Amino acid sequence: MLGVQMVKLEHVTKEFDDTIVVDDLNLDIKAGEFLTLLGPSGCGKTTTLRMIAGFEKPTSGKILLNGNQVDDMEPYKREVNTVFQSYSLFPHMNVYDNVAFGLKMKKVGKEEIKERVTKALKLVQLEEYGTRKPKQLSGGQQQRIAIARAIVNNPKVLLLDEPLGALDLKLRKQMQLELKHLQQTLNITFIYVTHDQEEALTMSDRIVVMNKGKIEQIGTPREIYEKPRTRFVADFIGQTNILDGNVSAVNGDMATLELADQTIEIPNSSEVALKEHAFLSVRPEKMKVSNTPIEGPINLKCTFKEKIYVGSVTKIVVRLSDGKELTINESHENIAELTNNNDVYVSWNPENAVMLIK
Amino acid sequence: MRARTKKILFSFSLLVFLFFYIPILFVIIFSFNDSKLGTVWTGFTLEWYGSLFKNSQLIGATLNSLYIAVITTIIATILGTLAALALHRYTFIGKKSVEFLFYIPVVIPDIVVAVALLAIYGLLNMSLGLNTAIPGHVAITISYVMLVVLARLSSFDSSLEEAAKDLGANEWQTFWRVTFPLIFPGIMAGALLAFTISLDEFVISFFTLGPGSNTLPVLVYSMVRLGVSPEVNALSTIIILLMVIVVVVVGLRMRKGENLNEKKL
Repeated sequence: MLGVQMVKLEHVTKEFDDTIVVDDLNLDIKAGEFLTLLGPSGCGKTTTLRMIAGFEKPTSGKILLNGNQVDDMEPYKREVNTVFQSYSLFPHMNVYDNVAFGLKMKKVGKEEIKERVTKALKLVQLEEYGTRKPKQLSGGQQQRIAIARAIVNNPKVLLLDEPLGALDLKLRKQMQLELKHLQQTLNITFIYVTHDQEEALTMSDRIVVMNKGKIEQIGTPREIYEKPRTRFVADFIGQTNILDGNVSAVNGDMATLELADQTIEIPNSSEVALKEHAFLSVRPEKMKVSNTPIEGPINLKCTFKEKIYVGSVTKIVVRLSDGKELTINESHENIAELTNNNDVYVSWNPENAVMLIK
Repeated sequence: MRARTKKILFSFSLLVFLFFYIPILFVIIFSFNDSKLGTVWTGFTLEWYGSLFKNSQLIGATLNSLYIAVITTIIATILGTLAALALHRYTFIGKKSVEFLFYIPVVIPDIVVAVALLAIYGLLNMSLGLNTAIPGHVAITISYVMLVVLARLSSFDSSLEEAAKDLGANEWQTFWRVTFPLIFPGIMAGALLAFTISLDEFVISFFTLGPGSNTLPVLVYSMVRLGVSPEVNALSTIIILLMVIVVVVVGLRMRKGENLNEKKL
């Protein structure tokens, strides 16, 4: 399914009034890929998208679209279309004219326009709504029209700037899957911007996690979630426990980490050096709590603080001797008898812990 | 107590409206009055409307006024709209000062503009005629157009222009297909304002018109020194009627535009 390279960003930097918003970005996006730019607000993800669309020009660097350099090309000459955050439907045109706008600009014949617009409206299940004005539609319907207006042009790349941000949670979840299926049906390259990590994990083939104008990590949803490379990624995607300590010994593939007043053996995945400060990320659902140490995996002695019922799981909060708190998710039936302020042992399989940089 | 306050407020409002509209009502009524003196009602007649169209002086002045108002409106609307677009879209050094310069003609007395223009015409050795009133009219109306269009633009969602370009429309197509239709009510309101200001502008016309080329306010002014002729009443009635029609039509159009532009969240 993933074929040739469709979009390439080479050393792209964007400055606004001496503030670096996008910093030396390199990115390859393949044809037919669903790629998500994920990060907190102000991380440069929207600016990156706007540079691909042509609304911003990079301060330096190159943008290639289907092999052609486009960074100086006007937006109306690029074979990309955008679904805007606020939909930006033309309020003075009805739904049909909104969707037909791009085709009219390209001087497509009247018959073909009618055929393609009808097909696009059918695709978003709004073929009955052609004569309505955008303000007569609900938010979800406006969203679909915005998508239809973009895809009717058969763009090489579809850019989506937080398109589901204004919808309520239930509709958003439904639209996430619809968009994903639409992308698979059309086989168009999607570049999707969001700050919602769950949305990114649900929809993407690959996720680019951005922070402060730089890429923190690129990977499949699974890689991003299970093998975060940096502290930022581990923290931003889902919940995690980050343990930090000094490396007291390195022995081949294994390293010894000093945590509070304990030591644990960990696989040296990011090749830490002796005496270095290292960070370890373990997801709450990968940890177990018991009253006695468990044979085999790593055991960390802690003090039990509290347990919180949150519906799907029970969260158990324990405290290390240096005061740091860890959260563990346990299914309700596996919870041991725990007493406040008693010593407990937190354990996990070494392969479920990830060594982080920074 | 409350009912009394309500009564007082009602009477007061009524008085204000009477104060506004009784003179206008009198003009309309006396345009049908069968008396040359125009102060006593003697009977109904349409004579003045008939003689109005035979009064070449009044018709000529009306045509002059309309001519100046139309030319002024066209120039002021185009320039004012372009100025508003520039001020809305671009940031440049001295933007605030430029904006301020556009407010000055709104507050400056017309007499100053009139005298200044007269001085320039004298300096350039230009002879006064009908067209010499137009620059003055444009100067005082352009700011109104700009302010009205600028207000309209401030509520305009510029991501719509990006959407148009994204869909393949160049700058020109984007302007005519998206920006212009959406700010059109503002442009119309500005044009209407410019038209009415120009139509009843007296001071600048009085100073900068050449001999023999009168506008309606200037002619009426010279006529009323000899007493208001019933023909002026008839003419005023026609103008009032026309303006009411124009304002209602534009108002309805603008309301339609407002409804379309309302953003649904």
